[in-house]
Amino acid sequence: MTRLISAKGLTKVYRRGNEDVWAVNGVDLEVQAGEMLAITGPSGSGKTTLLNMLGCLDNPTEGRLNVNGKDVFGDQKEMAETALTRIRRQLFGYIFQKFYLVPTLTVLENVQLPLIFYKNRAARKTPESLLSQLGVGHRIDHLPSELSGGEMQRVAIARALINEPKILLADEPTGNLDTRRSGEIKDIMRSLAQGGIAVVMVTHNQEMAHAANRIVEIRDGKIY
Amino acid sequence: MNIYSVAYKNLLRKKTRSALTAGGIALSAWVLVTLLGFNRGYEQSLNRDIDNMGFQVLLTAKGCPYEAATLMLKGGTGLRYIKEGMVKTVTAYPEVERVTPMLMQGVFDPNKGENGAVAAYLGVDALTFPPMKRYLEFKEGGWFKDNNAREAVLGYEAAELEQREIGDKLLIPGINAEVRVAGVLKRSGTQDDGTIFLPMGTVQTLFSKKGQLTALGIKVKKDTDMDAFENRLYDLPDVQVVSLAQVKTTIMGLLSSAKVIVLALALIAVIIAMAGVINTILMSVLERYGEIGIIKSMGAMPRDVFKMIWTETALLCSVGGLTGILLSLATARLSEAAIRRFLPYTPHGALVVLDGRIAGFAFLMILAAGLLSGLYPAWRASRVRPLEAMRAESD
Amino acid sequence: MKKLLLIVCLFLAPSIALAAVGCDLNDPDRDIARLFPASSGYKTVYLSIKTSGGEAMLQRVEQRLGDSFHGLYETIEVPYTLYEVHQGKEIIGYVHGVNQKGEYGGIQVFLSLGTDGVIKSFYIQKLTSKAAKELRSKQFGAQFEGLSLKDFQAYPPASGQLPTSGPLATLKNPAPAAGQDFQHVLRAVKKNLILMDEFVFSKKKR
Repeated sequence: MTRLISAKGLTKVYRRGNEDVWAVNGVDLEVQAGEMLAITGPSGSGKTTLLNMLGCLDNPTEGRLNVNGKDVFGDQKEMAETALTRIRRQLFGYIFQKFYLVPTLTVLENVQLPLIFYKNRAARKTPESLLSQLGVGHRIDHLPSELSGGEMQRVAIARALINEPKILLADEPTGNLDTRRSGEIKDIMRSLAQGGIAVVMVTHNQEMAHAANRIVEIRDGKIY
Repeated sequence: MNIYSVAYKNLLRKKTRSALTAGGIALSAWVLVTLLGFNRGYEQSLNRDIDNMGFQVLLTAKGCPYEAATLMLKGGTGLRYIKEGMVKTVTAYPEVERVTPMLMQGVFDPNKGENGAVAAYLGVDALTFPPMKRYLEFKEGGWFKDNNAREAVLGYEAAELEQREIGDKLLIPGINAEVRVAGVLKRSGTQDDGTIFLPMGTVQTLFSKKGQLTALGIKVKKDTDMDAFENRLYDLPDVQVVSLAQVKTTIMGLLSSAKVIVLALALIAVIIAMAGVINTILMSVLERYGEIGIIKSMGAMPRDVFKMIWTETALLCSVGGLTGILLSLATARLSEAAIRRFLPYTPHGALVVLDGRIAGFAFLMILAAGLLSGLYPAWRASRVRPLEAMRAESD
Repeated sequence: MKKLLLIVCLFLAPSIALAAVGCDLNDPDRDIARLFPASSGYKTVYLSIKTSGGEAMLQRVEQRLGDSFHGLYETIEVPYTLYEVHQGKEIIGYVHGVNQKGEYGGIQVFLSLGTDGVIKSFYIQKLTSKAAKELRSKQFGAQFEGLSLKDFQAYPPASGQLPTSGPLATLKNPAPAAGQDFQHVLRAVKKNLILMDEFVFSKKKR
């Protein structure tokens, strides 16, 4: 299997008043293509901080990160936002607990939105086909306010996949959903991983965690 | 879908706020366009009025012009006169194409209105005056042929007030003299509409002013050196030289100061509107912080976000600017009526003249000001880091 | 500056002399207060025969007048200004003027009327006539107070002969040697009353 993410000694330290807070402390982690990895742990353990660094949304204080064979963070200075943006849009898709759909755009327009800024010419799927595949093809002209929580998360997934990223990062994807809809999202994630995408998710949901190929537990910023 | 449709839909999120901001821009555009139109209209109408006098130089008797004003307003006496012989003297100058003598006399008519008013009569030369005023057309009748005929030609409004038609009698109050209407002019849009013209000899006889004139209108030949010619006229005894070009310059000079103040007011209106733009767009950015962070995480570069926010500003200013321009077109006549009410001296003709150039200039100015105002909010939005934005949203 | 003032006088002189064209009151605030001391305000209404009834109304007015409309200035399009005089919300009377062609110039005749159509006062705002002083005198104007349209129905403007009986028989021409302007004034009064009946009083009855 292809190694897509390799993290060595990833550390994130925040300054709070006079104290240093070690949110993530020396984490080593690898993610393979087609793997579904669940990161679990108690609240405040550093799971989301780790996820953000793996997804190039945040710069680590120390440590190295290699994504798809390219060194992103290392011994060099903090990477510029424009450089991080280029990496993100070519390799990553993101979904969040709050969905973050644009309320004034329709379902179809929300999925088309990333294409205004970047279009992967090798991507074969159209927004309409993605939405159909995810079971919300009949809602393309609706606004987010007219959708259920499960439908909104499916639309968010479609938006994250529009440029066919290699890695999908999900932060509590079922946090705002009921059991039935959580189950639907779990099935979607699993099938995406089976299709070759590396899925890395932070979750409190035991069912979601057990559906993953591998579970990594974080406590006090370290892998437990 | 493109950046413009996204920007447009973003503006529609807070319809009332966007509408109020666009309304403020529209008002400032309305003020700007109307004032620019007034600047042009006043100048054009003034030029037309002066050009329509038919002559470039006016010679009047040397003396206090306030006396002339007194005669006009109160029927007082003591107006200075030019001797009729001056006509021959001036006609002999090589620069002169034509000279026409004029004699303005007024009588106080106690039966005009509650407190009476002055009725003015302009004596003109039957031979030389009509060619100076070729633009005057007759509704009925024509000019008198004899300088001593007991006849009158009435301007359109004068005839309407006196209900006179060709052949009717006209009474000159005070001296109780009767003349007959020989012609009624069509509306010309100049001061001639309110004038009663009588033959020169008739006015001199009726008012006992034989051999006397109040003014000489001089039309010069083409390519005349006006400054040199006027200097020669200054040498004539007991006359004042009034160059209508100078009058135009003087009035426009006075107007320039007013123009500066008026345009400053328009500029202030635009600045206030732009403050509204900055506030609206900045508030919109701060409300959408998390969403902008997500857009960045989707792959939008800082310049993409900048462009999106800047486009919102451009759309808002375009809509407001266009609305204001249309409003000024619709209310141009109303604005003109208001200006005539408040300004003491206004030329005939349109005072507010609007065309594509003025509208285009105003639109570009509003748009440029708007884009300038939108720089800070757009820059602020472009600097959003996705993670901080999403954390701020969660908080 | 002096030259400027001169030019301005040349421009303005005729307009100062002939400021009011049409038949509006020169100073309605002053004149309405004088004619109706009890008034609290007024409303200005602009009317014409063309917009109020067209050709049919013109024919009716001419028939009632006993004379046709003549000339360049007495047409169906002429605007008339009606002042509705108020005391609070209540209308207490009307002021209305008409232009009339006189022998030597225009005559502007204003009538102030009660809500019953009876003349309360008579006012000539402008008059060019050899009999101007006499026709604008208080004594002459007082003759019209208390008269109404029914009193003028017998008056024929075409001939200008006063009826030998009735309220108009006692009307006195203040300057018989001064020409036809007495007859022109009577025509203006009758026309004014007919127009007021057409614009206001007949409509109320309907």
